[in-house]
Amino acid sequence: MLLTRSDIEVVLGEALAGGGELAEIFVERRRTNSISLEGQRIEKVNSGLDQGAGIRLLAGESSIYVFTNDLSLTGLKTAAQRAAAALAEGKGTRRIIRINDAGEAPPAPVRRGEIRDKAAIVAAAEKEARAAGDAICQVMVSYGDSEQEILVANTSGRVATDRRYRTTLAINVVAGDGDNVQTGYESLGGTQGLELLALDKVRELGDRAARRALLLLRAKPAPAGRMAVVMAGEAGGTMIHEACGHGLEADIVGKEMSVYAGKIGRRVASELVTVIDDPTLPGKYGSYGCDDEGTPAQKTVLIENGILKSYMYDLEWARREGKSSTGNGRRQSFHFPPIPRMSNTYLAPGNTHPEEIIARTERGLLVKRMGGGQVNPTTGDFVFEVAEGYLIERGKITVPVRGATLSGNGPQALMAVDLVGNDLGFAIGTCGKDGQGVPVSDAQPTIRIPELVVGGLL
Amino acid sequence: MNPQELVQTGIQKAEEAGADQAEVFFLERSTLTIEVRGGRLETLRQSKERGIGLRVLKDGSLGYAFTSDLSQSALADAAREAVANAGYVAPDHARTLPVPSAIDPSRAQYDPMISDVPISAKIDLALAIERAAFAEDKRVTKSERAAYEEVEYCVAIGNSHGLEVSYRGNFCGGYAWVVAEADGDAETGSGLSYTTRFSELDPAAIGREAGREAVQLLGAKPISTQKLALILPPQAATQLLGILAPALTAEAVQKRRSLFAGRLGEQVASDVVTIVDDGTLPGGINTSPVDGEGVPTQRTALVSAGVLRAFLHNSYTAAKEGTRSTGNGMRSSFKGAPEVGPTNMFFVPGKIRPEELLAGVDKGLYVYDLLGTHTANPISGDFSLGATGILIEKGRFTRPVRGVVIAGNVVSLLKEIQAVGSDLRFYLGFGSPTLLVQPLTVSGE
Repeated sequence: MLLTRSDIEVVLGEALAGGGELAEIFVERRRTNSISLEGQRIEKVNSGLDQGAGIRLLAGESSIYVFTNDLSLTGLKTAAQRAAAALAEGKGTRRIIRINDAGEAPPAPVRRGEIRDKAAIVAAAEKEARAAGDAICQVMVSYGDSEQEILVANTSGRVATDRRYRTTLAINVVAGDGDNVQTGYESLGGTQGLELLALDKVRELGDRAARRALLLLRAKPAPAGRMAVVMAGEAGGTMIHEACGHGLEADIVGKEMSVYAGKIGRRVASELVTVIDDPTLPGKYGSYGCDDEGTPAQKTVLIENGILKSYMYDLEWARREGKSSTGNGRRQSFHFPPIPRMSNTYLAPGNTHPEEIIARTERGLLVKRMGGGQVNPTTGDFVFEVAEGYLIERGKITVPVRGATLSGNGPQALMAVDLVGNDLGFAIGTCGKDGQGVPVSDAQPTIRIPELVVGGLL
Repeated sequence: MNPQELVQTGIQKAEEAGADQAEVFFLERSTLTIEVRGGRLETLRQSKERGIGLRVLKDGSLGYAFTSDLSQSALADAAREAVANAGYVAPDHARTLPVPSAIDPSRAQYDPMISDVPISAKIDLALAIERAAFAEDKRVTKSERAAYEEVEYCVAIGNSHGLEVSYRGNFCGGYAWVVAEADGDAETGSGLSYTTRFSELDPAAIGREAGREAVQLLGAKPISTQKLALILPPQAATQLLGILAPALTAEAVQKRRSLFAGRLGEQVASDVVTIVDDGTLPGGINTSPVDGEGVPTQRTALVSAGVLRAFLHNSYTAAKEGTRSTGNGMRSSFKGAPEVGPTNMFFVPGKIRPEELLAGVDKGLYVYDLLGTHTANPISGDFSLGATGILIEKGRFTRPVRGVVIAGNVVSLLKEIQAVGSDLRFYLGFGSPTLLVQPLTVSGE
């Protein structure tokens, strides 16, 4: 039990004593393990426990946030009193707060394992990557797991607990051939334990990262110009997340920084495009039972057959706009107040076989892995690096190319999508916004955009 | 328990758990951030956090664990975990814990005024920043964010060699992002300043700077591609240091990730360039008696008159090369072992006033902001950065510019620095005077 019901009632009462409409407490305990391997040796193993509580006070359009890792009743009361004093309206009345029992979050049904098992996984990934070829000169592997237990309660009577167990494995491979140095990266993550990292899957991941680095050594510089771009399902949904998803977060919309502001019910994408955010997907990296404000996780259809249906809300933006929270109020940890965030965001599969999409493309670029990118949320303009790309010529995949970048405009690209595959590929990441990183996944089927600007090597 | 007692308890528990040697790092950190918008308090964030990190050596291997639960049982758990973790790490003879050395406690910088001034006065200070921006010019129409911020910390470090040190420090600052509008154009300007003395914080100056920059950029347009000298004021030059800093650490050199690897003693910059890291700098935001593993801080000349002289070291990178730590074992939290990083790193100023530098430029660009510095390649030093600024013709500002790209290599740029101004200014841990860079190609339309 992170905190008893009576303690919560006392602390929330203190927080509201100086005025304000809503007080909330978020308590978190997080255990983490990480292992990193570099230069063929395990260099670091780190285990930790971090715990603390954040108290939030909403008053009009002002918000106060105080956090502490002193979880004693005295420590929490002090934090609550600081929040109340910061508001300093002096017109608060002491209210009696009553909430229900939160109960305890049930244990996560995952395989935990020992550091020994995890170290063996890291070693297996490196061994497989190194075996892929003589040109492999460096392999870096990092493993991480975290078990996060949360309790959240607020003065509108909401109280909830959740337990989230996450595991990740990332592999970075450098291959060199004289002056030509290329890298390959692969990662895997989920709200799962060691069952996520079965040895055959780990080996395949190491091999794939290594083969990408090797492939890029013999890739030709990418051509530049306007052309059709086929994004394979296995590329994941980076573009959907970055160039569309952020513009559908209620705070970005509310601050008039989104191209999608004021467009509910209007056509914003090709009718082949349906975009969904769903934290209830079992085992996915961005999944949770309730969000970090205690709202139960739910599936939200954002765009349906090209028509804009909904934004993603947390409690504060839902209150401002007269809506209900969609369960997208998330925070990195107790150090931060919640804001509207994505969870698992995907473009829903269509009917076309991926091979047919390539066969129907006369000339273009096939993107099998996306790299980093930058998006202007206000305009939707994006630039992405292509980590693994191939030329499509006369409906066939021909040569690998490197150094390609994609530039365009997110909303325009979604409007132009003309083929949507019947596959679905996921990628994981840590999404950064307002200085907070949260685990997310994104996915898409194979899709074709008839024309994007492809930048070649400088 | 007070911090020193916690540290000693941690060492004892680690040794009981089987550690050959142990180090305990205690950090308590409090922060306050006040953001205002449109004359009203928008958000206020306040925090107090404490925790310890345990680093243990067992049979030549290093293990780590941390906890923010400071109960006896949690300390014992962390000690056992750290020792167990060491069992899976490859042994490395360079992993050592530093022995105690004489320290100068006066290097701790603590200004009681920062914590004594009441919150209401700090809210007023943030509001004053915003007001000054609006007062600067009628065309300043919106404030995106104006804020007051402060950080206070208490550090205690101890290890099995008898090293025992603790100190506290604090600093404060403010910033503003404002928008100016005219003739359908909207431009953003920013002002920012951090200091270790509350009385030195000048809210009006921060606001004015943000307002002035936004207004001066109004009507900014791209220019044709041309060769232009660059004037990099401190705010832009420090962004350049941010790209350089990782490459000047011994860690990057040893992992073959530094563009300066193997170039000690070589001319890597023009002879007007001297780059120093100084953890003892009076008034520096990152000044402290010791680094994150208890080694005294020092002043290290990295580049002297253009010649590469040294890299930054912590105990580990130093032991690998048989040299001494430069006191750059940096730790931003108790959750991890010390890495190598800069303290207060800066271009040493020259004697020329910035106005004189400007007056001598026939055709140039005064750079307000560089965009995309995180995309610069830290290994090759190649960069391609967007820039906004003001065109200089015959020593005078003529018109605002945006949407241009400056591409090149950090090392070649260092060699093109022609003159260094006298106006050293710090942006948190990085400092620079105004720099004059010889003409290079600025890509526009």
